[in-house]
Amino acid sequence: MRALLLLWSLAPLLWQLRTSLQSPAALAPPATGAAAGAAQAAAWTLENYQLILAGDPPFWRCLVNSGVVGLSTTLLTLLLAIPCAYGLHRQRGRIGSVATLILLAAALFPTVLLFLGLLETARRLGLANNLLALSLPYSAMGLPLAVLLLRSAFDDLPPELEDAAKLEGLDLWQRLRHVLLPLLAPALISTALLLFLFSWNEYPIALTWLSRSELLTLPVAMARIGSSSVFTIPYGAFAAATVLGSLPLLLLVLLGQRWIVSGLTHGAIKG
Amino acid sequence: MSLREGQGLELRQLSRSVGERLLLDRLDLEVRPGECLALLGPSGCGKSTTLRLVAGLDAPSCGRILLQGEDITDRSAGSRQVAMVFQSYALYPHLSVADNLALGLRVRGVGARERERRIASVLELLQLGELRERRPAQLSGGQRQRVALARALLRQPQVVLLDEPMSNLDAQLREELRPELRRLLCGGEPPVIYVTHDQQEAIGMADRIALLEGGRLQQVGSARELYANPINRFVATFLGRPAINLLPLDHERQLGLRPEHLVPLDPEAEGQQGLAARLQRHEWWGNQQLLWLETERGPLRMLLPGDQSPPERLRVGWQPAHELHFAAGSGERLP
Repeated sequence: MRALLLLWSLAPLLWQLRTSLQSPAALAPPATGAAAGAAQAAAWTLENYQLILAGDPPFWRCLVNSGVVGLSTTLLTLLLAIPCAYGLHRQRGRIGSVATLILLAAALFPTVLLFLGLLETARRLGLANNLLALSLPYSAMGLPLAVLLLRSAFDDLPPELEDAAKLEGLDLWQRLRHVLLPLLAPALISTALLLFLFSWNEYPIALTWLSRSELLTLPVAMARIGSSSVFTIPYGAFAAATVLGSLPLLLLVLLGQRWIVSGLTHGAIKG
Repeated sequence: MSLREGQGLELRQLSRSVGERLLLDRLDLEVRPGECLALLGPSGCGKSTTLRLVAGLDAPSCGRILLQGEDITDRSAGSRQVAMVFQSYALYPHLSVADNLALGLRVRGVGARERERRIASVLELLQLGELRERRPAQLSGGQRQRVALARALLRQPQVVLLDEPMSNLDAQLREELRPELRRLLCGGEPPVIYVTHDQQEAIGMADRIALLEGGRLQQVGSARELYANPINRFVATFLGRPAINLLPLDHERQLGLRPEHLVPLDPEAEGQQGLAARLQRHEWWGNQQLLWLETERGPLRMLLPGDQSPPERLRVGWQPAHELHFAAGSGERLP
């Protein structure tokens, strides 16, 4: 039963993997010989991968670009979100709840409405075709969610821990550095993963901000592969791109999983 | 009762209100050097509020806090020489026992060698040496409490604050730890404030007890004073188990009689003073038993030795010296 469920969930991914490993001819067999097509289908090939990795720009370049944007977005967002979340955590009462409400509204704001304004901003400030600048709008869009997640993580920590640290003479920075942030590691890592994921997948802003082909991020590059030919759809190359694009994420989640252990705070309080 | 200048801890007209709520109302209190004072009272009486004010974790609305003659009211928590043991111990869960102890010393700039020397000596004092590499989650409740104590002692404080330090421990461990806690904390130079809602713990630990209710200090004194000479009905009711009996005397007065001061009289003998009583139910506690009686003046609780069989009907007597009189309305003690 469990195997069946697993198969049900993983089937699209496995299909994609299979598609990426077959030659274009096998994928779109000529209408005449169905039997010949079936015979060819069994032949595995790395042709698709070779094709996109040798493309212009090479596909690995897009992976690196997306990685750079993802990393800078994640770092910038966390750098901004941590102080904000701590502030909201300490600021109980009306100011805190109003600020939280505004954040929530910002998180729910339809991003489509931002494109034109963002484009204009990029043009005026000369931010177009700059990978690091791309993390500015990404951080702005990821910030509300990151703040809300981290704030609730701060709220979940037993307040006596910070009191005890205060009494021992730790200042704000030392309390964050030595006590609060280490305990927030699971929340920080899962928030970071979410931010990275969002940046990795973002398409419309990247499409409008980046035009030089060696700067393209993954989603934009994939769209280019998909529309590279007018007459055929390059299923194989496209599938190969999705597989390559998913691998780094898979790796990150597997790495992060080790750290996302709940119950790290166990033992602080009666247990 | 006056404090020598520049000694111990002194609270003057200390108040704290949050919004409309008055948590602490003009508390005047002195704790002498080497003295252990228990802050006793029901939850919400202001005892934890007082502790947080002394620690500097909250700011008073008005009033002053003096430590060794110096006004520390406006000092930050970290710059007061105050150590506190929290009810939950508040050990840093991600650090080993040794690192838990080292963190405070490190940020205060104590050198590595000196740090190690002080940690080793306090670990030895509290018999925690073998546990130094353990995380708090790997310790028992009693061990965690000792680590929390060790951290407080390392601070070399001028006053030690304990917030219900034993309420997370089981009853047997509590009794075992009480003398140890007294040995470690009390009798040294720094005054100790011990917050508890458990009167037995207060009596066992403290030299004097300050009883609070509704943010106001009711009475302060030794346990004997509070027991024998309560200033009002609340003090008389709060201290002593089972609680004192209250019988109406007339419209203005109530009579307070402690269950342990009641004695059974011969029910047949006429002309005796005392109250005719009928047994409702009784609880047998081993060395003692508690009788729930019904009398013409109202219900009474009475303690008898455990080996007597409780009579169905009896007369209850007491010595006049044991009578406590209270004003029916205000609860003030009357002569």
